Amino acid sequence: MRRIRTSIFLYCGVVLVCALLLFPIYWLFVTALSPPDALQVLPPRLWPAHPRWGVFRDVLAAHPILLWLGNSALAAIGAVALSMSVSVFAGYSLSRFQVRGGQSLGLFILIAKMLPATLLVIPLFSIFRSLHLIGNLWSIVLAHSTLIIPFTTWMLKGYFDTVPRELEQAAMVDGCSPLGALFRVILPVSTPGLAATALYGFVLSWSDYAYARTFLTNAQGSWTANLGITTMKGEYIINWSDISAASLLVALPILLIYLFLERYLVGGLTAGAEK
Amino acid sequence: MGGIQIEHVRKSYGSLEVLKDFSLDVSDGEFVVFVGPSGCGKSTMLKILAGLDAATSGRVLIGGREVTDLAPGDRDIAMVFQNYALYPHLTVARNMGFGLKMRGTPKAEIERRVADAARILGVEHLLERRPKALSGGQRQRVALGRAIVRQPAAFLMDEPLSNLDAKLRVHMRVEIGALHQRLGVTTIYVTHDQIEAMTMADRIVIMRDGAIQQVADPDTMFRRPANLFVAGFIGSPGMNIIRAPLTGTAGSAEVQIFGQRVTLPVPGEHLARLKNPWVLVGLRPEHFQLGPGAVTFETPARMVESLGSEKYLYLEVPEANRLVRPDQPGAGTIVATAEKTNTSEADRGATIIARLINPGQIAQDNAVRLSFDPANLHVFDPETERAITA
Repeated sequence: MRRIRTSIFLYCGVVLVCALLLFPIYWLFVTALSPPDALQVLPPRLWPAHPRWGVFRDVLAAHPILLWLGNSALAAIGAVALSMSVSVFAGYSLSRFQVRGGQSLGLFILIAKMLPATLLVIPLFSIFRSLHLIGNLWSIVLAHSTLIIPFTTWMLKGYFDTVPRELEQAAMVDGCSPLGALFRVILPVSTPGLAATALYGFVLSWSDYAYARTFLTNAQGSWTANLGITTMKGEYIINWSDISAASLLVALPILLIYLFLERYLVGGLTAGAEK
Repeated sequence: MGGIQIEHVRKSYGSLEVLKDFSLDVSDGEFVVFVGPSGCGKSTMLKILAGLDAATSGRVLIGGREVTDLAPGDRDIAMVFQNYALYPHLTVARNMGFGLKMRGTPKAEIERRVADAARILGVEHLLERRPKALSGGQRQRVALGRAIVRQPAAFLMDEPLSNLDAKLRVHMRVEIGALHQRLGVTTIYVTHDQIEAMTMADRIVIMRDGAIQQVADPDTMFRRPANLFVAGFIGSPGMNIIRAPLTGTAGSAEVQIFGQRVTLPVPGEHLARLKNPWVLVGLRPEHFQLGPGAVTFETPARMVESLGSEKYLYLEVPEANRLVRPDQPGAGTIVATAEKTNTSEADRGATIIARLINPGQIAQDNAVRLSFDPANLHVFDPETERAITA
């Protein structure tokens, strides 16, 4: 009896948390489907009387959302590729090699992340201006990498710590160089960790607004999705339905990626390495 | 194939010396076991042999070739790890063939050698499986297979059986022994289990605090331990150690044990130069006999443990023979021995163990009449802890 009661409480808690987390998405959906004038009605309706299913097609036709999505994807892929290629080595070194000051170096990387993005905007702007990168997607790739690398380095260090050292020792006895052991054994074994880390970096880059706003405002062709959506807001009229529809379209790729990578994110590929 | 020479290898981390002047000559095809308690440096020495750790000084030769500064892959050795360290992303066949692939062996040759090794170890039906789909014993076999396909000059094994359950461990111990007989490859085997050492080794190297205590074949190790540590480490239960006051050193040495005057199997002049008027005397639990003999005594059995065919009697030691003061020389070793047999130091000093085969009914706390042959006594210098021999 007590067990049933505990279960009921537990399930109620889960439902409550899910409702809290999913409500904004649901409301975004309702807002997108409602005609603009219906949004001013009080009390608000939980589901529009006449859902406008064509809103997504209309938004895609009226705004270059696909171009923005493409730019966001390019920036995110570039930033993740750059960050991962740096943090795989950094994380592995922090995990495996005992160097003088290694611990402080690791913490220093983390402190670099604690600085707010807005603090870095001005120095980065002046650096990119002198490199003629303002208005270029590369500025975003580099700027996002400064945000992503500290996180991914620490995440990967944590993951590498869980991979038994004997695996690379076995690989070295089998004839690999230390770098060969990393590429042939440690990285393949760390696929779940690499996937989770890369996804995390991707989301960080995808959700950026501050850097895009600062470095890309004057280059319409390079606008990322988040920056593009804010330009849909007029000075006098704000069409919340369209903005909500566009927001849903921008959130969709992340949702899809999570669905596809889910098995890697929870997978335990290292199982079986040891006893 | 080839022997292994270890010459004056030292290893230190700052001021901490984990290996102290380790030298050993292992002949071709020999099975040598490094044994000792945790932290004695045996695994460090194995890692130095494998090239996974660098020695602070000294040289290592494998098959007559100096390998001190060579990478692990260039030393022509194969290693079996305690946790097997199988590559989880590769099938059993690819795990076993990985080392050959790294050396550029042709694919057909790899397949042939993997098949051969799989047949020897009985894992042919597992070749396409991943390590996570194997049981502990199967993983152990695959790890051995990965070592033997390479046909190296030497096998290095780092406690390869410690993750298996007791029954499987005995089984694999026999299999490794048979494999060594069959392949005849020089093997260095590290373990903390003295039974593994005794049953498998051609020669045992006992280590403590980074230093070799004794190198000998199992029989010699058991019969003629070089010091108190070896005496306590080898044998289960370990050797009983008591303090024996010297009663005479003219001619043959005499001590008092259990109220009896006992002539020691060493000449008196060997003991005459000792600082203390007493020595440490060791007697193995199995060297006691029920009833009268060369030296007969009576003492209460504080506890009786029956193992079916044999009984362990915890005999009360007279005050004169107890190892009373913990600061006494040799006490450290005795504590280590006591830990091994799960009795406290105080118990260890106050009781010793007699192991009797089919002794019949023995009541606890009753006096028992036992005897021993003084020829079986071991004598140790309390200062140096070394054995004093004739």
